Amino acid sequence: MSAFFDAWHYDGKSAVRRKVEVQIIGPQFFLLETERRHGPFAFSDIEYVTHKDDADVYGLKEMDGWRLMLSGPVPTDLNAMLPARRNYGGWVDRLGFGKAAVAFTLVSAAAVAVVLLSPQWLAPLIPDSIDEKLGDALVGDFGGRFCSTPAGDAALKKLVASLDANPADLQVEVAKIDMINAVALPGGNVILFDGLVKQARSPDEVAGVLAHEIGHVREKHVMQALLRQMGLAVVLGGIDGNSGALVNNMLAMSYSRESEAEADAHSMKALGGANISPIGTASFFDRLSEMDGSAGSSKSETGITGYMSSHPLSRSRKEAFEKSIVKGKNYKPALTQAEWTELKTMCTQDRKAKSGFGFDFN
Amino acid sequence: MNDDVSQRHSAFRFHGSWQEFARIAFPNLLLTIVTLGIYRFWATTREREYLWSKTDFIDERLEWTGKGMELFIGFIMVFLLIGLPFIVIQLISQGLIFRGETIIAAVVTLMMFLLLFYLTGVAYFRALRYRLSRTYWRGIRGGSDDPGFQYGLAYMWKSVVGWLPIFLLVPWSMISLWNDRWNAMSFGPHRFSATAEWKPLMKRYLLFYLVPFLVFVGGIVFGISMAASGGAPNALGSTGIAIGAILAIIAVLSLYIVLPLAALAFYSKYFRLAVGGLRLQNLEFDFRARAPDWILFFLANMAIIVCTLGIGYIFMPYRNWKFFIDHMEAYGEINVDELTQSETVVAKHGEGLLDAFDVGAI
Ligand SMILES: [Zn+2]
Repeated sequence: MSAFFDAWHYDGKSAVRRKVEVQIIGPQFFLLETERRHGPFAFSDIEYVTHKDDADVYGLKEMDGWRLMLSGPVPTDLNAMLPARRNYGGWVDRLGFGKAAVAFTLVSAAAVAVVLLSPQWLAPLIPDSIDEKLGDALVGDFGGRFCSTPAGDAALKKLVASLDANPADLQVEVAKIDMINAVALPGGNVILFDGLVKQARSPDEVAGVLAHEIGHVREKHVMQALLRQMGLAVVLGGIDGNSGALVNNMLAMSYSRESEAEADAHSMKALGGANISPIGTASFFDRLSEMDGSAGSSKSETGITGYMSSHPLSRSRKEAFEKSIVKGKNYKPALTQAEWTELKTMCTQDRKAKSGFGFDFN
Repeated sequence: MNDDVSQRHSAFRFHGSWQEFARIAFPNLLLTIVTLGIYRFWATTREREYLWSKTDFIDERLEWTGKGMELFIGFIMVFLLIGLPFIVIQLISQGLIFRGETIIAAVVTLMMFLLLFYLTGVAYFRALRYRLSRTYWRGIRGGSDDPGFQYGLAYMWKSVVGWLPIFLLVPWSMISLWNDRWNAMSFGPHRFSATAEWKPLMKRYLLFYLVPFLVFVGGIVFGISMAASGGAPNALGSTGIAIGAILAIIAVLSLYIVLPLAALAFYSKYFRLAVGGLRLQNLEFDFRARAPDWILFFLANMAIIVCTLGIGYIFMPYRNWKFFIDHMEAYGEINVDELTQSETVVAKHGEGLLDAFDVGAI
């Protein structure tokens, strides 16, 4: 910091540096060179630009490149007329660093909370027509992979009707894909993969999985997840690439676990209402987790990872189904033996349906 | 009034210190975290303000007048105009794959890729234009009236021509694009002229290009000569295998060490040639860093990042700028009377595109 007050000026029209004196006249000022006078300029048009070594640099509104550089002890009458120095920029300077940091933290937390919680009440507000269009766009005829035989369709229809009160707005199909998986998609679409149906040892097992997926549809989980992903993409868009995606995935995972529990609860209720024993579903989960434990590379085992990745199989899930058994209740099989055989062999019988994905799914 | 640049020690000098930079970088880091990354646009601005204000060109400091808000608006624009449509198209193409329409999905994805390729070129151009238009020296700034849309096309075809003959013309495309970019830029009333040549770059490029082959061939020759000198085949045995293993390790290590070194050697030559071909009116530029300087610089950067467990990353803008300015040189003279204000238009948004694609400075 030099001991003497110095003022330099660039007029923004040429690069010539001018040593000036500041002459204050009320709300205006002139810049005096030895032979020239610049101005008048209004103090209200002065903006703080930057700090350069020992000088504060001021600019003038609407005057590109106009600069007044002041170094040394600025006279108090001039200092009083100049705008405040900028350090962090607008809000942070006005609040102070500490307060601003706390305020930003609160706002960020609130924004994340809104994005995480609002889908639960926003999803039911999305009109069914949008939901259906989205489902149609995504599923269509699934590339001709849906299996259909008159008897198989009838069996599936019976199963759905026993598990849901409004089966008309559900589109449940079996797809000719050799993977143990089942998915719920927008527009009431539920797709059971043939690999899952073939692997099941009783119709009760399929009923439990199907009721679980119907649970996702009825609780609007798909639309919720979609909204949540979009909201997080917006809120976390500011964080660059990898860390944002990581946070996003972690949050999505924890929420999907909650959705899974809800879908399971829906499934148990539906099974109870249809007088179907939940023991089948429990043993199905049991078998899946055992197959997962013996991680190999045979074809059926790679198929499991599909269901496992979207449906983490925990001991507690299996136990929940076991506990929902009501002792002494007169359970009956979900389908008759003949119906079950028809459903299980539907994709083998239907030769028109295309098989597999036609590309590497993973 | 003339300033003879060549009389001085160096036209560019940097006066900053990392301790001062730390007082900017650490609060920036904190604010960036608590705002979920949104503050980083203002953080970048504050860092540039500091670095520019500590940089002398001849007898006056540089000035950075960019605003955080500009960068933020640029980012939002990219998000709305490119990010969101991209997400939607990805969803659609996933749906198409799901339905088995793989060819249409591939076409859609290819179109999206081409568009991104084009926009990357435009982004490089506009980032340079933005930086020049926000850099002031003695109240005068740079800029360009070219929006860079043509450059985007040149970027596409020149890159492809560079890759087509098994990547042998990459040096040509790099130099040619550098010249295209800078020939469209100006400072004050003067247009830059960029006439760098690409042929002198080929020797270094071939060195880099041939390293993998040389290591491979060298390894084989060495192995054969070792085996030959080992005499009778039964004398080889376990020692022969051990030597073979050591050779393989050396080959892999040299690939990982020699290849980056060769790349740095190439880049140092590229940057020296590119800057060396730059002129502004009577000013000529030079970049004096040679391959060993670059190698030391990058080794030091890596050491800093590793030793500070990654936190040293926040000092990289400082290190990069210091390295850049310390090795920049200018010769010739400037007539400050003739250096009048730039009449190029100033875009109201920052380098959002480049920011979104996460490509480095300069
Ligand atoms: Zn589920």
